[in-house]
Formats: sequence, C-alpha cells, structure tokens
Amino acid sequence: MKIALKICTFLAGAIVPFSAVAQSCVADLPGGRRVESERYVLSYRTKPEKVAISQHFAVEMAVCPKGGEPAPESVRVDGFMPDHNHGMNYRAVIKPAGDGRYEAAGLMFHMPGKWDFIFEVRAAGKTDRMTATVMLQ
Amino acid sequence: MTNDGSVTGSHRSRLSRLAVLAVALYLPWQGEAQNPGEFLLDFSEAELRMILQHGPWPPPVSRDPSNRVSGNAGAIAFGEKLFFESRLSAKGSISCGTCHVPERGWSDGRKLGVGLVEVDRNTPTVQNVRTHRWFGWDGSSDNLWSQSIRPLLDTREMGMTERQVAETVRSDADLACRYEKAFGARPPADDAAVLVAVGKALAAFQETLVSGRTPFDDFRDALANGNHKAAARYPQDAQKGLRIFAGKGNCSLCHFGPNFTHGEFHEIGIPVFKKAGGVDWGRYEGIKRLRANRFNLLGPFNDDPARADGMSTRHVALVPQTFEQFKVPTLRNVALTAPYMHNGHLATLADVVRHYSEIDPTLLHMAHMYFDPLVPEAVPTDTLLKPLNLSSIEISYVVAFLMTLTDTETGKPRKPLPACR
Repeated sequence: MKIALKICTFLAGAIVPFSAVAQSCVADLPGGRRVESERYVLSYRTKPEKVAISQHFAVEMAVCPKGGEPAPESVRVDGFMPDHNHGMNYRAVIKPAGDGRYEAAGLMFHMPGKWDFIFEVRAAGKTDRMTATVMLQ
Repeated sequence: MTNDGSVTGSHRSRLSRLAVLAVALYLPWQGEAQNPGEFLLDFSEAELRMILQHGPWPPPVSRDPSNRVSGNAGAIAFGEKLFFESRLSAKGSISCGTCHVPERGWSDGRKLGVGLVEVDRNTPTVQNVRTHRWFGWDGSSDNLWSQSIRPLLDTREMGMTERQVAETVRSDADLACRYEKAFGARPPADDAAVLVAVGKALAAFQETLVSGRTPFDDFRDALANGNHKAAARYPQDAQKGLRIFAGKGNCSLCHFGPNFTHGEFHEIGIPVFKKAGGVDWGRYEGIKRLRANRFNLLGPFNDDPARADGMSTRHVALVPQTFEQFKVPTLRNVALTAPYMHNGHLATLADVVRHYSEIDPTLLHMAHMYFDPLVPEAVPTDTLLKPLNLSSIEISYVVAFLMTLTDTETGKPRKPLPACR
C-alpha cells in the first residue's frame, strides 16, 4: 500500500491538461471527478454524492485508455488514511457495467479526516495507480 | 469543504453559519464580566464542528428491518420479561439482567463478566444498542437478535440448548402468552423458530434502552442554538476536557457521533492475554465467527427479504490488521460502567485517559510479533495513537468532561410488568 502511494500519481488538471484522447472518451461521468495516469483517464463519482462518515457508499467509475493503450482488464478501488496509515475495514466489490464503466459497492470511510481513494487499473501485465484525496468532516 | 475537495454553495453556507456561530458565542463574552459560575471557552470553528456532531440526542427512532417485531409493544414487554428470566440459564440462576444490571449502567461493575463461569471479557452496556452496526467486543454479531441468542447458548454464560430455550417458553403460560402477543401465534414446535423469536423479542426490548439527556447534550444544544448564556453554565473543567477530547486528544475521531462511537474497531495497546491462557484475537476471530454464524444478516432468519442491512457483513475484510482490535465503545454513561476496556484492564476513567496519554506505540504492533509469516511487509500499522503527554490537570479535565456524559434516568426502578392475559 505504501509503495502504491509513493508511485507518482496526480490529479487530472493539476499538472497536465486533459489530453485530446481523454476528451474523446465516452465514459466521462457527469459531475464526476477525474484522475489520470500515464495510460488511463478515470472519472469517478460516489453514491450518495456526499460521503457520510462510517456509512457505506458506492463508487461509479469510467475508465478510458489514452491513445493506443489497451483496454483495462480489471479495475480496483480502495480507501486509505495517509495520516493514520490504515485503510478501510471493508472490501469493495466491483462489477463492470459496460462501456468502460464499473460500479464498486461496499466502501466505508469510518473516521473523519483525510482519505485517499486509490484506483488501480490493470492491463497488459502492468498496473496504473491513481489517487484522489477527500476530506471528511 | 466537501468530500470531493471542493467547496459547494451549501457547504460554504454551512461553514459560514459555523463561523457566525463561533463569533456569536465568543464575542459577546470578550470584555464582559461573566457571572460567577458561568464560563465559556472560545471554541474554534473546527472545535465547534467536532462538538456539534456529538448530537443531537436522543437519536431518531428507527425500526430494525431484520426484526419483524422491532418496535412492537408486545414484543418489547416479552423481551423485558425474558431479559430478567433466570429460567433461561442451565442452572436457573442467571438472566441477561444478572450481568446487564440497570443500576450499573446495564453492565456489572466487574472486571470480567461472570455467567456460569467467569468469561474472558468485560460486560459491555446494552444501552443505545439500536445504533450499533456490530455487537460484542469483537463484532461477531451483525444484529441485536443474534447477539441476544449468543449468551443463551454459550456454555460459559447461560448454557442452554435450543431445545431448552424453546421448551421453557412453550411450557410456561405467561411466557407462551407473551409470545403470542408479540408474534401473533402460540410458540411453534420448531425449536429454532422459538429461539430466534426469543432473540428478536430480547432485541426489541433492548432497543428501548436509550440513555437520557446529559449535561453535555444541554451544552451542545446551547452551542447549536447560539445560546451562550445557557452554554456558559456547563462546567469549566468539562469544557477544557472537551477541548482536549475533540482537539489534540483526537478522541472524537473514533468516539465519533451522537453515541460517541463510529462503531468500528481499533487496537489500542491493551494486553490481550487471557486469564485462562492464550490470546484474545478480538476482531479477527470475531469476523470468522460472524461468517460462520447461522443467525447473521445474510442468513435465513433475517426478516428483511432484501437483506439491505447485510452490506457490512458482505464486505467486511478479514485481514491481519484486525488482530487484537476491539470495538470502540459508546461513552454515554461511561462513568457508570467501570472498569474499562475489553478485559476490564483499566479501573477508572483517569486510568483510561492516562493510558492514552502514555501509550506505548510499540504495543500496537503485536500482530507482527505473533504472526510474522502471515503479515506481508506492506501491511500498514496504525499511526493514529501517539502519547498525548497530558498533565495530571489535563487528565482531570478530560475525566470531568466524560462525567458530563452521564444521564439521571439510568438505573431508576422499572415498573413491574402486568401479567399477560
């Protein structure tokens, strides 16, 4: 997990403008938040929109490969509290929903504070990791 | 700030209200002589937010969808009768109420509970259990009726069999009458059905054991309403303790929400060796027992066909970090339920606060010591708990705050139940 966190990831728009390839991605989620790695652009949104502390929530994801990159073979999402060095007490179960979309159920952020969403996209023997930070109060 | 990192209109408005509240509460008191016995700390916006999330109290009442008699008056009365019924133990000597004593905050004042023999854990209160997601120190039950069945059948606690429980209810006119009032039919010949019904009636009764309002609740509501004069009547030492609790103590992170628990589990450096030998693995064993429990929310006895409340049981993770974790208990009426921790290791509230103040982080990683081959290198260890290094006066402040979580209703004599007709 620590290694995963150290791998260079960044929020879309924070460093690199959204690429031309990503703009053609049909799996962009309205109202979602975007992260990207070298090979993928991932849009996600939570259900409900506002995550409540110690309550289950779901995550809807849309994953688009950048130009020439392979389609995802699997997608994973997890949660981690970097200030406490622990993750969730629950494992999300992810189901493909077609058209590059995935639905994850069963997540829970059980404490207030800073949480990282950790997304993993696996394809062609490589794993891309992306993080997005949220503050729960 | 929202949890997607942005500030929306509604949240900006909420923040503004908090800021206004902070100013409204504090400014009038600056440069103004406060009356003797009235004192109000200048709580920051962040402190106010943390304080306000501990209410309001009591919480809204909701039925348990897994229990068809949740909230049913007949079932509540049947459950109360069963709760204090010693014929539900193998020797006819012990009832639920033997360990969950109303006058002792529905606990027993002992270090370790005593059923037919002494057990390995401290008796937790059964107040405010309707708000829980997990039950027992290890969370081996995911619902209150299952948790109520467990001690009946445990050979160390009440030592009954399924058949004996069912026969006791079927053969006693008053119990059978109450069963019919609750469930609409006489107790059936199916022992398992009667046992589960007994659990559900016990649960219906325990759901009603909601602690009363406390001095803290009055203070919290006064803050929420901007009534600084009423808020200033809250004891000065308690306010200082609350500031530590919600601030540098980080206590509110786990003792979160109106019931002062987020309902999950942590390892906090309490010794886990059992008196009779061996180690209490806490949540790790609890999850395994939960999954093997035929009365869990994924099983056939859940009255909710949608199994909507089974989400946590479906997704809970059995991982090495759960070794030696125990449930974060409620702090409401905590002053009535000494001694503390899963094994009653700490005698007083001051001992508890001192434990966190002087905590040795090396004690938090016992999973690595005992199960090194099973624990991958990358398994994280919780770094939340660090010594707080509180002074003795600060410890007394936190204790003063905890004392204000005590209501005045708990332990009052209960009216005898009328005979069932």
